Amino acid sequence: MKLISISALLFVIVLGALFIYVAEDIPDFGDPYSAPNCCIKLFDVDAAGLMDDLNQGVIPESLADKIEKRGLPLPIRVESIEEGKWDFFLVPEEKQQAFYPKEQKYYLIKKEGDKLGVYRYSLVVRWIEEGEEETEVINMVTYGLADYRGYDTLGETSVIFTAGVSVLLLLRRRGKRPEAK
Amino acid sequence: MNTEKSETGEGKKRSGDVIVETVSRVMVPFIQLFALYVIMHGSSGPGGGFQGGVIFGASFVLLVIAFGIVNAGDRFPEAVNTALFSTGVYIYAGVGLLCIICSFGAAQYLNYGFLSLPVHFEERRALGMDFIEIGVGITVMAVIAEIFFNLAWKKEEDEGEE
Repeated sequence: MKLISISALLFVIVLGALFIYVAEDIPDFGDPYSAPNCCIKLFDVDAAGLMDDLNQGVIPESLADKIEKRGLPLPIRVESIEEGKWDFFLVPEEKQQAFYPKEQKYYLIKKEGDKLGVYRYSLVVRWIEEGEEETEVINMVTYGLADYRGYDTLGETSVIFTAGVSVLLLLRRRGKRPEAK
Repeated sequence: MNTEKSETGEGKKRSGDVIVETVSRVMVPFIQLFALYVIMHGSSGPGGGFQGGVIFGASFVLLVIAFGIVNAGDRFPEAVNTALFSTGVYIYAGVGLLCIICSFGAAQYLNYGFLSLPVHFEERRALGMDFIEIGVGITVMAVIAEIFFNLAWKKEEDEGEE
C-alpha cells in the first residue's frame, strides 16, 4: 500500500513537471513570427552564389534540387519582399485548380548571416491574406467556421441536435401535463 | 400573459413579483431582436449562429423564470419546438445539397459558390454562409429551449407529486 502511494506521488510530480515544460514551450501568444503564425523552418543552404540568382528573380537550380530531393513541391517563381527575404510561388496540381485557381505563396527564403533559411508558410498566412478576397466576408472567424470548415460546423450542429434528441427521449413527459390541476 | 388563470388556478405558480414580470415582458422582444441581429451580423462582426441561437434560447429561459413553466410553456408549443430543431439541421444540410443540385453535380457538398443566386461567385459564398448560420441558430435556439423546458417540467411534476 505504501509503495502504491509513493509511486502515485512520483507519478503526479512527473506529470506536473511535464505540464510545466509544455507550458514553457508554447510560443508567445500573438507572436507574428512563431511557427504556427508565420512559417516553419525546413533546412539551411549556403548563401554563396545563390544571392545573385535570387535578386534577378530566378530560382537557383541547386536550391530547387534540394527542395525536390525532400519530396516537397517545386516552386516556379520568385518575388522579393524586402532586403534578404524572398517568396517562392508554386502552381497547384491540376486536380486542385478548381480550389486554388492562381499561384500560391509557399516558401519563404530568409538570409541569416551567410546562410539562407528555407521556410514553409503556415496555413494561417493564406487564411488571413486571401480569405476576405475569396469569400467577401470580413470576419475571418466566420469564413473559417462556415466556409473553409463547413463540414466541421455541420458536425457540431448535429452534436447539438443529438443532445436535444437525447433530452427529448429521456425527460419528455408522455402526454401528461400538470395543467388542469 | 393569461392573468385570469393565474388568479384562480392553484397549479399556476408564478414568481408573484410584478416588477420581475413586467421587466421580463418588456425585455424579451428586445433580447430576441438582439439575437436576430447577432445571427445576421455573423459575417461582418462578432457573432454567428451559435451565439445568436443561445441568446434567443435565453429569452425563453427568462420567460420561464418570470412566469413559471405552466404559463410560459403554453407560449412555446412543444410540437413546434421539436419540428424546429430538426429544421435547422435540414437547412444546413439542404444548402449543402443545393450546391450539388444547382451545379448539376459539378460542385462539392457545401461549396456555396455554385448556388443559383444572381450575384458573383464570392458574394454567393457570403450568402451561403448566412443561410447556414440561420440554420445553426434555429437548431441551437430550439435545443436550448427544449432542454430547459423539459427540466423545468420535470421539476414541476416532481413538486406536484409531493
